[in-house]
Amino acid sequence: MIKVENLNKSFDGVPVLKDINVTYEPGRCNMIIGASGSGKTVLLKNLIGLMEPDSGEICYGDRKLSEMTDKEKILLRQNIGILFQGSALFDFATVIENVMFPMEFFTDWSESERRERAQYYLEKVNVTGADDKYPNELSGGMQKRVGIARAIALNPKFLFCDEPNSGLDPYTSILIDRLISDLTKEFGMTTVVNTHDMNSILEIGDKIGFIHQGSMLWQGDRHTIFDTDCQELRDFVCANTLARNIIEGKA
Amino acid sequence: MIKNFLVSVGRYFLFMKMVFRKPEKWKIFWRQFVMEADKLILSSIILVGVISVFIGGVLVIQTASNLENPLIDKMYIGYMVRESLILEFCSTMIALILAGKMGSNISSEIGSMRITEQIDAMDMMGVNSAGFLVLPKVIATTLLSPLLMLLSLALGLVGGYIVVEATQIIPTASYITGIKAFYNGFYIFYSCFKMSLFCFMISSIAAFNGYYAKGGSLGVGRSSTRAIVTTSILILMADLMVTQLMLY
Repeated sequence: MIKVENLNKSFDGVPVLKDINVTYEPGRCNMIIGASGSGKTVLLKNLIGLMEPDSGEICYGDRKLSEMTDKEKILLRQNIGILFQGSALFDFATVIENVMFPMEFFTDWSESERRERAQYYLEKVNVTGADDKYPNELSGGMQKRVGIARAIALNPKFLFCDEPNSGLDPYTSILIDRLISDLTKEFGMTTVVNTHDMNSILEIGDKIGFIHQGSMLWQGDRHTIFDTDCQELRDFVCANTLARNIIEGKA
Repeated sequence: MIKNFLVSVGRYFLFMKMVFRKPEKWKIFWRQFVMEADKLILSSIILVGVISVFIGGVLVIQTASNLENPLIDKMYIGYMVRESLILEFCSTMIALILAGKMGSNISSEIGSMRITEQIDAMDMMGVNSAGFLVLPKVIATTLLSPLLMLLSLALGLVGGYIVVEATQIIPTASYITGIKAFYNGFYIFYSCFKMSLFCFMISSIAAFNGYYAKGGSLGVGRSSTRAIVTTSILILMADLMVTQLMLY
């Protein structure tokens, strides 16, 4: 479980996150949603420790991130898997080497054990027969899948995904969403997905936090998102004609 | 401007502190070391070889055209060519050429990894990205670059020999006697030391610029240019200081 309490962050005196309070639970797809520039990426970077908050606390289980030593942070990071927006696969390594990379550093498994395990995860994300290809030989969707396989290669307790569907067609997007959701439930991970894609939100949003101009204005799930009284969220959701028609039809 | 300079110097030393942390696994470090030695040192052999052969030949012609006094023994031409190669060309000039080749290679490689979040991905796994990416490059270039210097010296002398043989600008025997005359082993050590120092500067400064690259592909290009310009100036300054310290 990840708990965020009274988190504030500003840049050059301009507040970007204001008093954020949220809890992310294991086995669920927790989503941070909001328009571009609303502060969701800054929140994600604070959560994973790439930025430090001005005030407030982030707790992993019962440990406060701000009180962890460098060594504890390194250990924590070994329990965190991250899927970056651009996949961030290593150019110098093949598909299988990318997935084996964290295992090579943090396990004592033999080469054959690592290979076997990497192949298991690649099968999990439906990437087969591409072991020896380099990232630039893969499609965007394949790169995301390999990125997911690498992120979960050490059985992390926490999975963070930064806009996992950006640049993907709707069909592939749904496949990636379902994959993240299935793996979250199968491995009991605490998954946090940063997105503004309504399809994703409606497909896998077990818990949703809506950020607007740095404040978390609404929390709920995909079943209640259309029933909200929050005008800013309604404007965000109804930016899409289909969603607008659904809401008007419902009304 | 002075503040920016001091900030950059401070960041460079903090960066080097990260680079010189104990590797997570020595096996991975040595594998990377061999790969970097191949990519940075072995791949420079042809460039260094071609340049050295031609410069050796040119030095023979230039020295001969400046030593036409019949009272000066022709063997001094071979001697002066050898000393020019050892003292300056094979270390400083080759290092300046390598600053372009190796510097841009290192800076653009690490810079592209930075802007495509590959370095963030490594950090988030708990891997010391600076140590993994930069330490093998710095160690490989620092330890193995003296071999390039020695190769350059040998091929420079061969280049001179080819010109002497082809043009008979001086008798071949005089050239051979000259390149063997008044041999001072300390000069070889001095030149190897300079080469190691310069290659340490090339790899670490280029890596530093790439590691903190920002602003997309244009930023990578800028960091590459900055790395080459900075390294070239620093090599010349260090050359002056090391020469003063070691030869006087």
